[in-house]
Amino acid sequence: MSGHRAAASRARGPVGATGSALALVWLLAPVVPLLLWAAADRWQFPSLLPQDWGLTGWRASIDQGVLAAGARSTGLGVAVAAVATPAGALAGWALARTGLRENRAVSLALLAPIALPPFAVVTGLSTVVLRTGIPPAVSVLLVLTAAALPYTTYVMRSAYVGYDAGYEDAALSLGASRRDVLTRVHLPLVAPALTAAAFLAFLVAWSDYVVTLLLGAGSLVSLPLLVGALASASGNDSTVAAASVAAVVPPVVLLVVSGAIARRTGRR
Amino acid sequence: MTPRLQVGRALLVAPALLPVVVVVGTGLTATALQSTGLMPLVGRAAPTLDAFRGAAADQDLVRSAVLSLALAGVSTVLAVVVGFLLAVVVLDGRTGGRLVRAAAVATIPVPHVVGAASIGLLLSDSGLVARLTGTGAGGMPQLVAGPWWVATVAEYAWKESAFVAVVVLASLARQHGELAEVATNLGARPFHRLRRVTLPLAAPSLVAAGGIAFAYALGSYEVPWLLGRTAPEPLPVLAYRLLTDLDLTTRPQAAAVGMVTIAVAVVVLAGTAALLRTTPRSS
Repeated sequence: MSGHRAAASRARGPVGATGSALALVWLLAPVVPLLLWAAADRWQFPSLLPQDWGLTGWRASIDQGVLAAGARSTGLGVAVAAVATPAGALAGWALARTGLRENRAVSLALLAPIALPPFAVVTGLSTVVLRTGIPPAVSVLLVLTAAALPYTTYVMRSAYVGYDAGYEDAALSLGASRRDVLTRVHLPLVAPALTAAAFLAFLVAWSDYVVTLLLGAGSLVSLPLLVGALASASGNDSTVAAASVAAVVPPVVLLVVSGAIARRTGRR
Repeated sequence: MTPRLQVGRALLVAPALLPVVVVVGTGLTATALQSTGLMPLVGRAAPTLDAFRGAAADQDLVRSAVLSLALAGVSTVLAVVVGFLLAVVVLDGRTGGRLVRAAAVATIPVPHVVGAASIGLLLSDSGLVARLTGTGAGGMPQLVAGPWWVATVAEYAWKESAFVAVVVLASLARQHGELAEVATNLGARPFHRLRRVTLPLAAPSLVAAGGIAFAYALGSYEVPWLLGRTAPEPLPVLAYRLLTDLDLTTRPQAAAVGMVTIAVAVVVLAGTAALLRTTPRSS
């Protein structure tokens, strides 16, 4: 093991501490003014730090409806994940373990939502929705589910490519019922992948802007739409920052939690 | 394969395939019909290319298309280069590398509209960069809503570089360590190893992630809307203005802009797929 580590340390690249520092500055720089503004009551130019600290931005963003928008976005994310994850798991199984693996039509169809500009597809859909009278929330949900399915299918396909069905056979031969095999062997084995797929599906819905903008018809103000509306008006930087932080914290927390779940179940 | 098995696997794929086919199929068809006068909001359907002509003549469609291509192209190149460098820093394996990996992963769930708001607070003429460099009003080049679209490109490059890094790291997870070790034991210098081991191993995922990043930047509305200037407009911004115009006759023009964007996306992604086929695979 120590020999391995010695070789690994010899295999170190050309990157010094400067490289790591530059990489961190690149990734974190946009977050710094966001966090400072979210905690600033007054921050006049050209001062480097806020003159007055406080929660004015948070109070203002709550007045602007950040909580209701957050609840709508959560509902969208959970609903999309709830539909797209099991559907992606079934398709992922079929694509990984049957002759469908080489089926190019299926792969191309599942690539379409990622490859095609969503606004262009939704431009035509908005007219269809208007004519058929489908409620805005339903149409947004349907389109975002279609947008999430390529991700859930791809993640589950990768998981099923490496899936060892031998465990299921062993459980069956030991007298387990089909149902037991599903709930006590199959699902625990793919739990990390299911968690990752659900997280990605949630993220697709949570982060969406243009689909909700075009199909929500003004009645569905998600958190990103609120951030966009606040940011396009000038002079309320602390409110924009507070709403932005509110739009980032929930998915980052979910990321950490789902990562921890995946690691725990993966180790078992 | 027996017919029963075929039905079985079709049933398994259906819940994922059907919503995608229905949504994308309906959307594409409706956008195409609207752009060619076959699905008018009012009046009789008649095939015409007036919407395309109108968009080209009155709305500067060609300039918008060139602008969108340039924005997506430049930010994709930046994202691929920076993303690869970020991955190299992580692979280097120091404590700093672990922090960089965590920061890159944490950047993925940031919605683009939040990224745009953040880049605005960073690069505007009273933003953090202006404060740090001590440039007063007029001294700072106009990065937000300026002539060179710097803030827009910076937002895409920032978000997508993290995406590229995460994709590359995931694809390199297995082989890179061993191969890098072998190369070192055979006497390869760090830069040599970077060029002959890391880059070829990462190439397929760099191309694929670059294609996805390009498609995103080409179709994104909120980033250039918040950080760009008002004219010329990138394709999605132009389409949204035409779609929501009180004058209903511009709706077909919005669909025409959509069709042009789809054509650009398909051509570029077909190119990406061709490039991917010629990129030698490591495994």
